[in-house]
Amino acid sequence: MASMTQRLKPSWRNHPISSHLLIFHLVMASTLLPSLTSAIPSFSSTMHNNNWAVLVCTSRFWFNYRHMANTLSLYRTVKRLGIPDERIILMLADDMACNSRNTYPAQVFNNENHQLNLYGDNVEVDYRGYEVTVENLLRVLTGRHESAVPRSKRLLSDEGSHILLYMTGHGGDEFLKFQDSEELQSHDLADAVKQMKEKHRFKELLIMVDTCQAATLFSQLHSPGVLAIGSSKKGENSYSHHLDSDIGVSVVDRFTFYTLAFFEKLNMYSNASLGSLFHSYNPNLLMSTAFYRMDLYQRPLDEVPVTNFFGSVMKTIHTDSPFRVISSQPKVKESIFLGDDKVKEIDKRNIKVENDAIVALTLKKVFLSFRSFFTYYVLANTIIDTVLSYFCP
Amino acid sequence: MEEQKPPAARKSRLIVRLGSFLVSHSAFVSVICCVAGCITLLLLPVLAKNTYVSENALMPGSANPMFSNQDVVEANRFVKDIYETGILKDGSGMEIARLIGKHMEDVGAEVYYHKFKYRNLQFHPLCFFSSIPRTAVPQNSSACTLNGVSPVGIIRAPRGDGKESIVLVTPYNSENIKLNEALSLGLAYSVFSLLSRVVWLAKDIVWLAADSRYGEYTSVASWLKDYHNPTFSSDSGKIGIEMCFEKTENHVEEQSSFDGAAYDDFKRAGTMSAALVVKVMDKERSERDRVDIYAEASNGQMPNLDLINIVHYLAVHRQGLHVRVGTFGFLLNSALLKHVGKTLQRLTRLAESLNLGWKLGVNSADFVEGTATLASSMYYQALGVPTGPHGAFRDFQIDAITMELSPRTSLTNDNGISSFLLRSGRLIEGVIRSVNNLLEKFHQSFFLYFLTAPNKFVSVGVYMIAFALLVAPLPIVAAALFSSTANARSLTTISNNKPTNSKPVTRSGSWNWLHSAKLVFLVHLWALIVSLLPYFVSQIPHTNSTTSMLSWSLSSLLILYLLTRLTKSYVEGYQWEVLKSVMIAAASIGLSLMSIINFSTAQVGSILLVPMCLMVRPLKQPIQVPIFPAALLKILNILLAVVAFPPASLAILKGCLRGFESINIGDFWEWSEFLWVWNSATYLFVALVHLPCWYLCVHILLHN
Repeated sequence: MASMTQRLKPSWRNHPISSHLLIFHLVMASTLLPSLTSAIPSFSSTMHNNNWAVLVCTSRFWFNYRHMANTLSLYRTVKRLGIPDERIILMLADDMACNSRNTYPAQVFNNENHQLNLYGDNVEVDYRGYEVTVENLLRVLTGRHESAVPRSKRLLSDEGSHILLYMTGHGGDEFLKFQDSEELQSHDLADAVKQMKEKHRFKELLIMVDTCQAATLFSQLHSPGVLAIGSSKKGENSYSHHLDSDIGVSVVDRFTFYTLAFFEKLNMYSNASLGSLFHSYNPNLLMSTAFYRMDLYQRPLDEVPVTNFFGSVMKTIHTDSPFRVISSQPKVKESIFLGDDKVKEIDKRNIKVENDAIVALTLKKVFLSFRSFFTYYVLANTIIDTVLSYFCP
Repeated sequence: MEEQKPPAARKSRLIVRLGSFLVSHSAFVSVICCVAGCITLLLLPVLAKNTYVSENALMPGSANPMFSNQDVVEANRFVKDIYETGILKDGSGMEIARLIGKHMEDVGAEVYYHKFKYRNLQFHPLCFFSSIPRTAVPQNSSACTLNGVSPVGIIRAPRGDGKESIVLVTPYNSENIKLNEALSLGLAYSVFSLLSRVVWLAKDIVWLAADSRYGEYTSVASWLKDYHNPTFSSDSGKIGIEMCFEKTENHVEEQSSFDGAAYDDFKRAGTMSAALVVKVMDKERSERDRVDIYAEASNGQMPNLDLINIVHYLAVHRQGLHVRVGTFGFLLNSALLKHVGKTLQRLTRLAESLNLGWKLGVNSADFVEGTATLASSMYYQALGVPTGPHGAFRDFQIDAITMELSPRTSLTNDNGISSFLLRSGRLIEGVIRSVNNLLEKFHQSFFLYFLTAPNKFVSVGVYMIAFALLVAPLPIVAAALFSSTANARSLTTISNNKPTNSKPVTRSGSWNWLHSAKLVFLVHLWALIVSLLPYFVSQIPHTNSTTSMLSWSLSSLLILYLLTRLTKSYVEGYQWEVLKSVMIAAASIGLSLMSIINFSTAQVGSILLVPMCLMVRPLKQPIQVPIFPAALLKILNILLAVVAFPPASLAILKGCLRGFESINIGDFWEWSEFLWVWNSATYLFVALVHLPCWYLCVHILLHN
């Protein structure tokens, strides 16, 4: 299929062709395209090609400062490890930075040493205050928004996405409290994840929850590809790590604190595996037992780098100018921050199939561009003329 | 008809059968219930639970105190200023108010002076529960010395929304300032100046330096009333604060720049979340600096337990102060209580040895102390009179307590006072910071409780068991008496007048109680008139308490005589059993109603009232029991009739507490004056429930 583009290209370059000829090619391409799309490999074998993070702080009020600090710390970490802001949905139920009780106005810290302001210039909060509701979270997860909701507030993931869902707040047996007024139940979560699975909205999903009895929130999950970590088992509380006696509140929870401690040692090229993250939790330090549910997850944890969820893989299409992409062969460059060579070696065929998929996608893009040209015919004529004149002086 | 009745009775519902079972065994049930009620009451100190801070938002002690030695130095300087001003200048009191206002302004607070006119509290029978009727401010320009002037400062929270506030009150006598009052002003000033510098305020801070020359409560109450009842009229008769200052300070040069109008505006700071009344006292020395908490407000209302909890937590666990709540000292040495405590201790040890799982852990000393504190807590709630200026806040549903801080050294010991001021300042700062964290109002913890120690409480769910057990026999006995007399009457009439028709039978059987009800109604009417008499008696000039008391009782007796004369023909032909039954019904209704208004009054009242109501029977009526129990019953009846007479019970109580030589005829008048002046519902209870019940009991005792 890659040869098809090869064949198209020389014909443009060698002959001074008219726009009519181009339309012929267009028609040809359009007839070819269905066969190309059918060749896209099935969902299960889609390569991991993008990362998303949904970070949720569900509690309001000043004394829940730590939940906002937890979420902002995770936000900072995933950003540092490579997930761009447009792929992070940050939900904060309250604004601690501007709370009048805050000794450090407009700043949020997760440590009493006040070294790191988590609420710097570069924080994009997508859902804030009373927008953080169970309904909105479920809408974000399942992608069923009202038409007016901007793209920046949507989880635009696809079948190649790895999604990190981090939630913190006050929870209990099979629920997580939102805003003192409603709660997310384990059934709701399982249902949303199942919908996501059916809608091909993720390839793999990591749910990380820091709340009391967090493990109970995962009890109803049964969609494949889901990995879940909770800070505590049923009947256990999750405790805060330490109190900042300057600000007068606890600033971080234990589970999140030790998660962050693990990630502070890493950069985006690290090979640390999820297994090593999970083993880093010491029940004595956490004062609760970290629980992870992995029966729905196929890959062995020791071989999955944490950057698969906390970092980002990105497909970059390098172009010199916006229009040259039509005629020149797109140079597909893959910069995968997998870091772990083993993964590639395990399934080379997988990668090959994946390459094919990328080509098919490129072709589809080319076709779409052509179709837009066709619509704006006059405009297209002039543009194509300039393109042709550029190539055939 | 007659044949169908028995199966219907058998098929009646369980609750009806249970009711009729209880009614048929009323004597046994009432004895069991009364004994159980008294035992439960006695066991309350054992059933007390430890207090805990229930509201998550409060987080007492989570922040380091910022109150430093620098603030103590400032406080000491201020105390010296105040004290010297108070000693040197004339007794007008304006100097100190002005000095306080100036210092408030220097730390950046909004300042104004609240003027109030002292009004002698009087009995107004028609507005008993409502606030004191508002009278026009007298148009007397030279009256500023008659008025109290309280400087008020408000610190606006730098990033707060200005809708809520925390109030700090320091009463001081502007005419004759004492060192302890100067110290409390200094303490409040240093905390206030610290709070003006902090960034964490979410609620405004109001400092009211209440001029207490006419009483602490008066000035705070009048300020609160003005705070909550804004007047918008440009009152021409109102005296500007300017005049007061100019009159006394016209010799001061800088006075010319003093803009009095700005200090006249009544400034407000939103809803009050909590109020702290801070007083420094010079009490007996103990090992540690000490804080006494007073919480009882009018009619047994208490502030939210969380407020006491945070003060206790911060005082004990952060500042190492010794916390006390009101205790009856004489009970601590009571041999009887010690004996009960020891018996309980032995019993619980025995129970623990029988079942190792039980951890009762009753300590005899703890029991005695708990009982003494519980008794004091219950007494002050039952009295219905606030134990300090904080009571004025509770009338506006604001949680408030009075903290009496007393140092371990003398007030003139500089080192001791400095460390005392440091601890106290940190305590107040901590409490304010904790309340500052609060969202909206205190609501999480208890409002209905008794304290048995500063960190132990008995909640409403526990203490109402005792009352319920005491009151439960009343309706049962009333029903039993009523049904037994109805049965007896109908049986006798049926046996006597068998041939006649059954019309008179039904009438006498079912409407017989109306005769008794008439009498009960008349007695209650009399009690109502008696309760209103003090209003007229107090109008008589040149009387002391003894003459007032005598005129009150004589007029009461006269009215009673007139009433019985006038209505003699109406109230005849009742049986004493039915009369007792109606009286008990009325008493149980009265007690139940009172338990809603002031639980403690009902509880204390029921201890006297219930046994008297249940046991009463005519002395001349023979009973079919052996001679000894019959005599015992008669003696008990007479004893109760004497003890339960309100003036007699007061005299006995006073005799026990202060020695019997101190008893005076006027005591009861003074006591009731005290109660009505404070709008205590206890007065109504005594006059409208207890007194008629007692009279009816005596009436039954003397029944032929």
